[in-house]
Amino acid sequence: MSDDVGLEFIPFADDDGALAAQIAAMYAATPPADADAAGRCARAVLAQSMHAPTRAPFGALHPAWWWGAAAAALLVVAVRPWSTSTPALQPVGTTATTSVAMNGASAADVFGRVTPISGSDAVRFDITLPANANRVAIVGDFNGWDASATPMQAKRESKNGRATWSAQIALAPGRHVYAFVIDGQRWLVDPLAPQVQDTGFGPSNALMVDGGVQ
Amino acid sequence: MTDAELVARTRAGDADAFGALVSRYYDACRRFAYHMLGDRSDADDVVQETLMRAYRAIARYDERDQFRGWLFRILTNQCRNALTARGRRTRRFVQDNVALEQAHAPAIGLQLGAEHASLARALAQLDALQREAILLKYAEGLEYTEMAAITGVGESALKMRVKRGSEKLRAMLGTRDE
Repeated sequence: MSDDVGLEFIPFADDDGALAAQIAAMYAATPPADADAAGRCARAVLAQSMHAPTRAPFGALHPAWWWGAAAAALLVVAVRPWSTSTPALQPVGTTATTSVAMNGASAADVFGRVTPISGSDAVRFDITLPANANRVAIVGDFNGWDASATPMQAKRESKNGRATWSAQIALAPGRHVYAFVIDGQRWLVDPLAPQVQDTGFGPSNALMVDGGVQ
Repeated sequence: MTDAELVARTRAGDADAFGALVSRYYDACRRFAYHMLGDRSDADDVVQETLMRAYRAIARYDERDQFRGWLFRILTNQCRNALTARGRRTRRFVQDNVALEQAHAPAIGLQLGAEHASLARALAQLDALQREAILLKYAEGLEYTEMAAITGVGESALKMRVKRGSEKLRAMLGTRDE
């Protein structure tokens, strides 16, 4: 007895137990894979999955990526590609807080503000300082850097020991450079506000009035 | 080390643990795919795709399930996909007489010994879903509840597939016996 390819045929059993036994025997006789097949398969899976065993946001990242990210962050912080020698000018109407402590005051005690006056070409400069400043003036290209030309007025004494000094100046559209002079001696700029290179008058801030060319 | 421990270590990024899981189940997966598809190359592809999907989805594996059952659920789906794709390929060329004449004969016998060849060929001629049920029941030795969890098919339907498949096997082999 043989089948159509000449292989010896074994009669099939009628009951399920014998059927199961024959199928199980056939199944067990399946040729196994070669010895390294499983290893090759595992390596292929890992290579294709980039060692990402989960889809969790952080579990999916290979540890080596963290070193790359840390190196990139260090490079960015060290080089500060956004920092230029002539930073973007401060648009009128923004507030900047200085990091300069003044007479023991914290950095949060000093901050400035530039506000356009509606209906005119004037701009109001405000700077809040520790209350121990006696005189404050604003100097810039608009008054020839004369520390006595534009004194600022102490607008109000705040409750937390700070005073806000203000001055209103008519400015033509365009780029202007300025600084503050404390008690006639000490020049102060806002280090976080846009600054321009020192042209002989010390560091200074810059702003642009609408309609001007930067 | 248990499957659960290996899974936990795999989730933690331990590639060796995943390699151990693959070593443990590779042959079982390949054997099932081999008899489902009747082609060693297709079986190898399906097993690799199965393990790939298992690896990527292992975070969603529920430890209350048997890992083997979870893996076979993926494997059976992949076998069905492979058979569907093969069916599309066959239909695409079935009317091309030149291609049919020049085509290689389909692999038979699965490199089994002579004593199993006729049974393997009869099994290969069963409907794919009946073959799947017969293999899970008689070759893998699973209970119907386990088969239902793997295939997503009700137990009654699985019992019917096994019964009808068994009858067809007997008929095919009995015919040759005459």
